[in-house]
Amino acid sequence: MTAPTPDVLALLAATLDAVVIMDDRGRIVAFNASAEEMFGYRSIDALGRNVSMLMTSSDRAGHDDHLRRYLAGGEARVLGKGRDVHVRHRDGSEFSVFLSVGLIPNTDPPMFVGYLHDTSLRRKALATLEKERQVNRLYLDLAQVMLVATDRAGIVQLVNQRAIRVLKKGDAAIVGCNWIDCCVSPEDHAAARNAFRALLMSGSDEPQISEYHVRPAEGEDRFVTWRGVSLRDSNNVATGIMLSGEDITDQRRAESEAHKALERMNSVSRLATMGEMAAGISHELNQPLAAIANYAQACVRLLRMPAADIPEVSGALEQIAGQALRAGEIIRRIRSLVRNEDVRRESQDINELIREVHGLLASDARVHDGRLALDLSFPLPRVTVDGVQIQQVLMNLVHNAFEAQGQEHDGAPFEVRIATRPTETGDVEVSVSDFGPGLAGEVEQKIFEPFFTTKATGTGLGLAISRSIIKAHEARLGYRANQPRGACFYFVLPAHQESGI
Amino acid sequence: MKEMPQTVFVVDDDDAVRNSLRMLLKSAGVPSDAFASAQEFLSTYEVSHPGCLVLDVRMPGMSGLEMQHELNLRGATIPVIFITGHGDIPMAVEAMQHGAFDFLQKPFRDQELLDRVQRALIRDTEYRARLRHTDKIRERLASLSPREREVLDLVTQGKANKMVAGDLGVSQRTVEIHRAHVMQKMEAGSLAELVRMMMTVAP
Repeated sequence: MTAPTPDVLALLAATLDAVVIMDDRGRIVAFNASAEEMFGYRSIDALGRNVSMLMTSSDRAGHDDHLRRYLAGGEARVLGKGRDVHVRHRDGSEFSVFLSVGLIPNTDPPMFVGYLHDTSLRRKALATLEKERQVNRLYLDLAQVMLVATDRAGIVQLVNQRAIRVLKKGDAAIVGCNWIDCCVSPEDHAAARNAFRALLMSGSDEPQISEYHVRPAEGEDRFVTWRGVSLRDSNNVATGIMLSGEDITDQRRAESEAHKALERMNSVSRLATMGEMAAGISHELNQPLAAIANYAQACVRLLRMPAADIPEVSGALEQIAGQALRAGEIIRRIRSLVRNEDVRRESQDINELIREVHGLLASDARVHDGRLALDLSFPLPRVTVDGVQIQQVLMNLVHNAFEAQGQEHDGAPFEVRIATRPTETGDVEVSVSDFGPGLAGEVEQKIFEPFFTTKATGTGLGLAISRSIIKAHEARLGYRANQPRGACFYFVLPAHQESGI
Repeated sequence: MKEMPQTVFVVDDDDAVRNSLRMLLKSAGVPSDAFASAQEFLSTYEVSHPGCLVLDVRMPGMSGLEMQHELNLRGATIPVIFITGHGDIPMAVEAMQHGAFDFLQKPFRDQELLDRVQRALIRDTEYRARLRHTDKIRERLASLSPREREVLDLVTQGKANKMVAGDLGVSQRTVEIHRAHVMQKMEAGSLAELVRMMMTVAP
């Protein structure tokens, strides 16, 4: 075995490729630094060993035979030809290299040099690049927003999976088509075109927001918020646009539901104030009334005594007068409260107002084992009212009717009916009637008086407040007997006058 | 000891209601004292003071119900008549469940109030008398010797002297002497009375 000369060794050490020199029996005689690095063997460990230790098991078996056959004058299957081979690292892992083998001239017995170029790095780089491309595609497709790119004519260049799902069309049915003609709802074509044009014209990098509907291949249109940027070449000429879109159809729907629910709640709470107000009023009024009763009764006792204490009695009488004024003050406050309440009088469809409170009233009906019927005339002139106040009155009348049913109804559900009809004068009558016992004559006289009540827990203020609300609408809350029986409360609202007539 | 006079304590935050109540009570010859808040009353009230309370259920600060709770914690036995407004019935019911004597919805007739006050004062007198009675019995019980107490327990269980003697391992004569001392110390005229006394103080 001949060791390479020092200048050869220096040459080998400087070579970036791995270089392995073997003798005619396959023994390693040189193993350069790059080979050390590639295979994990130190040069001194590799020298003298058979080169087959660097091979995978499948190549290893036949190597010595190939070598012998060649030396015996056989064909050169490897020499001078580069090829990809798998080789084996010291740690057992296999990897691919590009191997070229040459016969070293003027050697006898002949020696061979192998150059091994690590192709796995290049492959790795290629694989990494491919993976990155896939990941990027994945990002596009995983994006929760729709991504659409078009050229400056609006022809779609790219769409992601999300956009494909929303539009319910395949990639092929979108890419290559005009974005607006192909995917945007016809009603929104103008809006989409304007947004598209504005994007191409703007020199700004800031995304521009637009909102329009897209039309999927099937199902209803989807409402989308778009953020768009223009794509520009090195001369800052717009080459196309990129859109990212968020399907906000469901969100919008939820928002509008929430908004409606909130509005409903607001009106319910405004509706509830009548009862609460009445409870608060009754408590406040009770104080001076209780004091007046106490003082008056004390006066009676004092005056019955043989020697009445006149100063004491007159003091109590003064107190009575003072408390009566206090009660009057409370009532004045209530009246101004009712008057000054944020009145929002607008042109309204009375039938619509009734339908709005129908749900609330129907649950009141269920509580009372009753039924609420609507008998609404159509068409009716519009009326100028504070809708919530009119609804308060209706709730109050219906609630009273259910409370008044008593226990007399024989099994059949107790029915309360809200009816609307046009009057001969072109106004609108609203009535709430029941088929209960109706009002006895003396009750009928007092029914609108404040604090008059036939109910054990009534405040006696509901009808009085209702009447003042209706009066504030230039109308009158009236009572008539219902036919064939029962009670009927009604009011006539003047038809809405168009301004200028 | 001479009894303290009974007082009707009026607690109401509303000046007019409070003063008119006092005047009404005064016109009926009932001594009263008035307080504008629960705290004011509680800071001066001694549980030994006999009388009754006329209490507004709805007051700022400590409500009538909270004050009743505080009185219960202090072991006060004074009867409470609640004055309620319109719609305070659920509160009144709760007050009754916590031992209120009665309630009145305002405004009310003078006689309704005076009748209830009268009944409440009688209740207070009876209750305090009963309390004094049981206190006395406890005092007498405490004066018995341990052996006398044993004899009393066995005798009130219905055992004859002979059986008591057997249980305690003493002669029948000894039992008879202890028993005579028990009757004397407890101031009981008969076995039946002794049994009644023991039931009064039973835990």
